[in-house]
Amino acid sequence: MGDFGEVVAHRSWIAMMNPSPIETIEPAVEESSEVKHDQPWIVIVWNDPINLMSYVSFVLQKLFGYSKEKADKLMLEVHHQGRAVVSAGNRERAEFDVFRLHGHGLWATMEKDSSS
Amino acid sequence: MSEVVHAFLGRPDLNQVEIRLDNESREVLLGLVKQFRSMLIDDSDQSLERLYPPAYTKDSELNDEYDDLVHDDLLKEKLESIDVLEKTIWIESIELEDFFAWMQVINSLRLVLGTRLNVSEEDEFDFEKIHDPEQTLFVWLALLLEEAVTASNFSLEDFNKR
Repeated sequence: MGDFGEVVAHRSWIAMMNPSPIETIEPAVEESSEVKHDQPWIVIVWNDPINLMSYVSFVLQKLFGYSKEKADKLMLEVHHQGRAVVSAGNRERAEFDVFRLHGHGLWATMEKDSSS
Repeated sequence: MSEVVHAFLGRPDLNQVEIRLDNESREVLLGLVKQFRSMLIDDSDQSLERLYPPAYTKDSELNDEYDDLVHDDLLKEKLESIDVLEKTIWIESIELEDFFAWMQVINSLRLVLGTRLNVSEEDEFDFEKIHDPEQTLFVWLALLLEEAVTASNFSLEDFNKR
């Protein structure tokens, strides 16, 4: 599981993070409605009792460039339903998004999109 | 009626955030982040696990690989954010990017404290009943973060014009 090539590919997104994590604030919008079938991974944010609702919405806007309306909708989905899919893409992209969400303290996981 | 004094004030004209904390609050934050840095470097406190959540819950091998890959980077990011907070703690108005580092530190502190306090969804803090110092800090950090989100909202305006 996980060959060297994958690790190198993953390192490439880590390199994108450096030298400053602030560099990542440019929007990388991937509207869920635009998810393609060749992008089989989804990124899920889970409800947790500590993170503030306003902060979760803020992070989703900051990292993904979502409008406040969309970020609030996702945040409320997390709050009421326990989870929400916040982005999707190939494995490398999804892992990068999870990494950025973890950097901001959100409880995020990724899995293969069973609906595609 | 006394005027509400906000901890932070967004300055979109300067792309900065004004820090309106009194000296005592700044000292408290400084003390907290100093302890937090030691904890992070020591890396043995179980409540720190909340800062490194799993990415893959259905495949432990993939998750171990992810953790090996990102743990040090997540740690480095947090230590750098602490450095920024320490360097800018006495400045009246700081760059937005530095303020984001403050927010990340404040939220990380809340996650660790909340984990340690075993905070649950049902918990409703009664301010009059808070005597435990860690609970007091947890609530204070929540207020700070709430204000920080409000103060830095202007940075998201471009997204909201879409």
